[in-house]
Amino acid sequence: MANTVRLGFVPLVDCAIPVVARAMGFAKQENIDLELVREMSWAAIRDKLSYGVFEAAHLLAGIPIAARLGLGGVPVQNIVVPMALGRGGNAITVSTVLYQRMLEADPAAMHGPRGLSARALKKVIDEDRAAGRPVMSFATVFPFSSHNYELRYWMAAAGIDPDLDVNIGVIAPPRMFDSLRNGWVDGYCVGEPWNQRAVFHGDGVIVALKDDIWARSPEKVLGVREDWVNDNADTAAALVRALVRAAEWADKPGNRAELAQILSEEANVGAPYEVLKASLTGKPVLRPGEAPLDVPDRHVFYRYTATFPWLSQGSWVGTQMKRWGQVPPDADLNAVVRQVYRPDLYRAAVAELDVAVPKHDWRVEGAAQADDRAFVGPDGFLDNTIFDPENVR
Amino acid sequence: MVKLEEFNILVIDEDPDRAAIVERGLVESGYTRVARIGTSHNLVERVQALAPDIIIIDLENPDRDTLEQMFQVSRAIARPIAMFVDQSDASMIQEAVSAGVSAYVVDGLRQDRIRPIVEMAISRFNVFDQLRRERDEAQAKLSERKLIERAKGILMKEKGLSEEESYALLRKNAMKQNRKIYEIAQSVITAFQLEF
Repeated sequence: MANTVRLGFVPLVDCAIPVVARAMGFAKQENIDLELVREMSWAAIRDKLSYGVFEAAHLLAGIPIAARLGLGGVPVQNIVVPMALGRGGNAITVSTVLYQRMLEADPAAMHGPRGLSARALKKVIDEDRAAGRPVMSFATVFPFSSHNYELRYWMAAAGIDPDLDVNIGVIAPPRMFDSLRNGWVDGYCVGEPWNQRAVFHGDGVIVALKDDIWARSPEKVLGVREDWVNDNADTAAALVRALVRAAEWADKPGNRAELAQILSEEANVGAPYEVLKASLTGKPVLRPGEAPLDVPDRHVFYRYTATFPWLSQGSWVGTQMKRWGQVPPDADLNAVVRQVYRPDLYRAAVAELDVAVPKHDWRVEGAAQADDRAFVGPDGFLDNTIFDPENVR
Repeated sequence: MVKLEEFNILVIDEDPDRAAIVERGLVESGYTRVARIGTSHNLVERVQALAPDIIIIDLENPDRDTLEQMFQVSRAIARPIAMFVDQSDASMIQEAVSAGVSAYVVDGLRQDRIRPIVEMAISRFNVFDQLRRERDEAQAKLSERKLIERAKGILMKEKGLSEEESYALLRKNAMKQNRKIYEIAQSVITAFQLEF
């Protein structure tokens, strides 16, 4: 008798791992009947996981940490992260109108490294302020999202105060490109395919990829309830194994076109095949009519320890929460991350598989000379920051 | 009806029929200050203008992500807002989640004053669900009847049977194969490779 696991996901390219686990039979091989439920909101996924409608969920990395802290007026929830669901995939897209203004305000910044393109935005903001115009609006997908932290990181590095110089709101991912098209926002940070889709429609221009802000940076995680793991340890481990196997499949360049086909189905992401394929094969188009880039690491599902729940990555998310005032300044974030991120569960689950695991659960992120470079991939920040979780309080 | 609380209640729902059912339930229970809005791009401004004490919103509504950001940013609202009633009230939260209801409440409102409002929303969501199920079933029945009509027409034309004989034939086969008449009708239609 197969164990039923209901897993909620949001239609994004990075729901690939659970979708593949079901579609390609990896869940079945682990005797799991994986029921996938498509959701349009992160709050809905969080609540359905918290109150037992789902056993597992595709989650933003900030959600389990925020839930453990009871942030945002939401009751405390003990969600744990036994694995990560890949790296990369986000981008910052601005309207074609704002892109033109950025290009005119600072052509050098717009032709330099994309991680620093916000310098042109800073000039546009200064022009607007001098002319007495209202501040521009940007959107991310949730208060506790890597998208929010990446957009803010990119802006702040160019001297923009994201709390004062612009208005940052929240829009659910599938509604993003309509909001840009209708002029309700001037730009946003969201996961694919919702950037590529705006470019294909001629409504937006991608000005920075997630990789340009923090190379190979972590994205979604698998969330499960702590009490569910405790009561269903074998099923939880089998679920991790099925998802790791699915990640391995999804990562192979030769499978990416088929993956785009699977994700294009209405029950999964439901975006056009061409849009998904451009992104998944590492050939995104940044500007309508332009030749695609060649960035094979645009979406990473397995290599570079992309499924390992690094404590240092959870710790980084925590520092961003603190940086932007979402967490009380005296909170001991690394203690929270230790409760939420569970590399021990990952290690136990894949022990019998041929999966390379790192020696430690923590690492220094962003160091140019790291000795595990080949294993975790290039991981530089746009401002060459070195993030040492030891220094986090 | 005795006059009840002077709460500002806001119902946010993409489905205007369900919103109307919830609103009517609340008004009939004596809550007079009930507003409702559907999906709008200036949600934050509208919620600020209405200054609700309680927001009832369907659990799956993507506008919830926008609302939660608004509650995060303290300068956006005058008073802090929390989800659901009281986290100790696990059974009500459970009931609300399974009915597809979520509620945001201004901090400081006593649980016993909020409970009847959330319970009303839960019961109205359940009523709406029931109505929708009945409607879907009625529609399914209608299409079953259409299938049977079409199969009868085929049998009359192709086999030269009368309408009564055609129906009797479908029924006889349904009984013999222990299937529903519309399923047999479907088989007949498929057998004649007709498109519809």
